Parts: sequence; C-alpha cells; structure tokens
Amino acid sequence: MALPNLFRLIYRNIRVNTDPGSLVILVGLPGMYLIFFGFGFGSLASAGGDSRAYLAFLAPGIMSFQVLLAGTVGGSMLWADRRYGMLSQLLSGPFTRFQYLLGIILASVLFGLGGAAVMLVVALGLLGSVPTLPLSLAVMFGTIVLGSLFFGGLMLLLGALVKSNTTYNSIQILVLFVVNFASTVFYPLSNSLPVVLRAMFWVNPLTYVANAVRGGYTGSLTVMDGYELLLLTVEAVVILALATRAYLRSDISFE
Amino acid sequence: MALADPPSSPRPPGGPDPVIFAQDLRHSYDGKRFALNGVSFSVRRGEIFGLLGRNGAGKSTLIKAMTTLIQTTSGTLRILGMDPAREGQKIRNRVGVVQQGESFDFSTVQGNLDIYGVLWGLSKPERVQRREQLLARFGLEDVRKRRAFDLSGGQKRRVQVAREFMHDMDVLFLDEPTVGLDVIMRHTLLDSIRSEAQRGLTVVFTTHNLEEADYLCDRVAVIDEGRILLLDSVENLKRLYGGKKTVDLTVSGADVPEFYRQLGERLGARAAVTVHGKEAVILSDETKSVLSEIAQLSQASGVQLEWLNVRGNTLEDVFLRSVAHPERSNGAA
Repeated sequence: MALPNLFRLIYRNIRVNTDPGSLVILVGLPGMYLIFFGFGFGSLASAGGDSRAYLAFLAPGIMSFQVLLAGTVGGSMLWADRRYGMLSQLLSGPFTRFQYLLGIILASVLFGLGGAAVMLVVALGLLGSVPTLPLSLAVMFGTIVLGSLFFGGLMLLLGALVKSNTTYNSIQILVLFVVNFASTVFYPLSNSLPVVLRAMFWVNPLTYVANAVRGGYTGSLTVMDGYELLLLTVEAVVILALATRAYLRSDISFE
Repeated sequence: MALADPPSSPRPPGGPDPVIFAQDLRHSYDGKRFALNGVSFSVRRGEIFGLLGRNGAGKSTLIKAMTTLIQTTSGTLRILGMDPAREGQKIRNRVGVVQQGESFDFSTVQGNLDIYGVLWGLSKPERVQRREQLLARFGLEDVRKRRAFDLSGGQKRRVQVAREFMHDMDVLFLDEPTVGLDVIMRHTLLDSIRSEAQRGLTVVFTTHNLEEADYLCDRVAVIDEGRILLLDSVENLKRLYGGKKTVDLTVSGADVPEFYRQLGERLGARAAVTVHGKEAVILSDETKSVLSEIAQLSQASGVQLEWLNVRGNTLEDVFLRSVAHPERSNGAA
C-alpha cells in the first residue's frame, strides 16, 4: 500500500537532506562544538581543572542548537525547491501546496529531534551518563519539537520572501550567528552582561529552548521555564501563520 | 481550418468527451497584457497535440493552466472532464509534466528517479524495475551515480523526461522536451512518446522544432501573442498551402534591406516575403513571376544572388507565415 502524500513528501525531504555534506553540517558541526567547546572552554571555566561540569552544561545547549539547524534545513528546502524547479514540479504532481509546506515543517521537526538525539548520545559518550527519566526526556524532546516549529517557521518565512541566493545565505548566516551566540546555548545569562546584550538573550526564543532543555536535562525546571515555553508556543504559532501566509502568496518558481 | 480565429465552440475531433477542452481561455499576469487571449481547442484521447510558437507566445502559460499551476483569468478549461479550479489534485494525480526549466532533487540520477517513484507511491520492486528500464531506455546507465545537477544539458533533459515515465498517467505535458538533445536521443524520445500514445496516452507538447512537430504530432496549434492562429493536422496545414511553393533566397550587397523592401513592393499580394537578415523565405503560387522579379531587381540594384532554391512547403513555412509580422513580411497573414 502506498504511503499517504504527506509521508512521501517527508521521506523525500529527509532523503535529499541526508547526503554526507548535509550530515556534516547537521550533526558534525554541533558535535564538534560539543567536543571542542566542551573541553576547550571547560578547562577555561574550571581554571584548568575538570571540564566535565561545563560539558554537562553545554550538552543540553547543543541539543537546543539543533532546532536552529533544523529550521535552516526547512527554509533552505523551500528556497532551493523554488530556485531549482522542484516546487513547481511537485505541485504539478499529486500534492497540494499545504501538504508540501507541512512536509517541510514536519521534516524540520524530525531533523531537530534526530540531531538532538545524536547529541545526547555524544554527551553520553563524553560524560558517561545522561538523563534517562521519561519525564526529563519528554521535556527535552517536547521543547525540541516546539523550537523546531518556531525556527522552521522563521526560516520558511525567509525562504518564501527572499529570491536572491546571496541575500538568502547572508540573512541565514546572520540569523544563525546572532541567535546562537545571543542565547544560553553556550553560557548562562549573567547579570554582568551589558543591558542590550541581556535584552537580546531574553527575547531570543533559542534561550527559552536552551533553558527548558537544560531544565529537563538537569531535572531543575523552574516556573520561569514554563512561562518561556508558553511564550515559545505562542511565538511558534504566530511565526508559522506568517510563514504559511507568505508561502501561499509567493511564486512557486523564480522564472 | 487555418489562419482564422479559433472556433467559438470547439468540437473535439475524435468524440464527445475530449481529454482536454479549452474555450476562450484568457490569462493575464499583470492585469494589463494577456498571455492567453481567447484560446480554444480540444484534444482527444491518444492524440499527440503540438503547441508551436515563439518565445513568449503563451505556450508555457497554457501548459501551466492545463497542469493546474495557474488559474486562468477567464474561460472554460476541462482536463479529463474535470475543472482545474475545483479538482486540481484529482487532475494532477492523472497527469505527468516535464517542465521547460530544470527541476532536480540534490541527488544522483538514480536517486532522482527513485525519489520520484516514492513520491508517486510506487512500491519498491515496481520502482526498481521502472528505474532500470528507464535508465536503459534513455541511455542514462553510465551516469546513474552522478549527481543530476552535474550532468550536461542534454543528459539533464533526458533525466527529466525519463523521471516522468516513473509513474502512470493519462495525459503527459511536455514543455520543450527535446531542447539540448542530440539527434539520436531526440528520436528515441519522440519514438517513446509515439509508442506511449499508441497505448492510449494523450500527449501535449510544446516545441520550437517544427521538424519534430511534423514527425510526431497528429495536430498542431500555432500560438502567438496568446492567440491560436492555426489549428489543424499537419497534413491539412501543408495542404492549405498546397498550390504554393517556397523560394529560399540569400543575397549580398550594399543595401540588402532596400532590395527586400523593393521586392516586397513589386510582389505585392502575389507572395508572402519573410526576411531574416540576408535571407528570405518567399511563399507564392506564382513561382515563375517571383523568380523573374528577383532576377530583374538584383540586376537593377546590384545585389548579388548567393542562394536561390524553390521547394515544396514544410510546416516551418506554415509557421513562419502564420506568425510573420507586417514589418518583417509582405502579404503574410
């Protein structure tokens, strides 16, 4: 029996994005962050002593970073399908525009979940143990789903609005850099930070993802994490609505 | 019929239930200029229907409308008896489309065919069987492991066409499928299309190449500026010009444009002159007088005759005459 349309699209999206080059970016890059930053900055943070404490801090951060990468996969898929003719090809086949969009969003979520799971395994290898309590895992991976939806929506919005290759890549790199480093992925939010930088941390949805995943990882979830997840949910809904609107109004190809 | 406005109420030539039925289709992208401007025609089951026209004539817009990618501004369109505006997905389940532009996944040739098979819901054994058949049929076995984007233009085109045969369909739309193909592969493709049509597949294809339209099509429509100028079988179109001959002429000299201008004036309604630089195609049923005028004028103007040939009509002559503009021709329709 043939798979339903949506599953076929998800299969296709995953298959075309799991070539060796893409996997290096999706898994290799965060893996290297975890290893090099974990040990490098870990020794700095512990003044040359045991770097495991920082590694344990960084591991859930890098898991959270996966939602950003998953989002870029989603946006890039839409942009490339428009640029290289596959969107119009698919839409002249048995798929609706909405199915196509849903296929990308769900593929992004799967990339987020898969990447986070791989990082958890890497952390297990480096630290010797990771949380296995169902509740911890549910919090961590539930947050990853929410984060992937938000950043998937954000990057889809970019993919729907931008036509130029240079512009798309420039904005994507800028977003990746700013969102990643102005969050609690690599370091905790400190009161010693300049006010502007602190404000950037606070409005950055990746901070909410990192805090909640870290809370689930260390079993130290706070009420604040709950509020942040709520805000993240609202933001994800809004950004997905905007992305869907932009996508449905966009040209299906760059001809 | 020929050189006439499209019929106000097109009747399918092969029966009451055409596979494609279009009546008075109009479409404008910007609300000002019409890419389709009152197009009417029908296509019967198993027919190979050619759309001929220059770049920007409206062929691709028509293909997009028929494949449900755009909704026309007005008019009636039915594909397999269904309305694209309301039953787009049902239609798309039963048609295949080879687009004019490139469209590949970032994968190998084999991967592209395989993924397409998955997208169309083929089981793995069926997918593998079709993929292997198509790789062999379109001469792609040697490049099966290469990434589709790295292939030459002709190879890419073959992959795109082969990929579409991964699934079953009732109607196949091909937008300039033979661009970039060598002669052998072009005939392989055309013969494949013909063979599929004999098994009941309806084919609509656009082309610039009139020889292949002549070779393949049951009927052709010449489209220009969003209108169908001619619509008939290739044989009938040629027969329409049956009494006429074509004179191919190439001249050189100081003032070739002036030579052709004077020639057009002298021939008047006796001939249709289409000029391309130093070359001209002259359509007339009074060949002797045309040759006489050419000889006299060349002597008088000092222009040298480089090439002169008289032959029967081809579809290309029909096409040139139908789309010739006043500034480039004299006496053309």
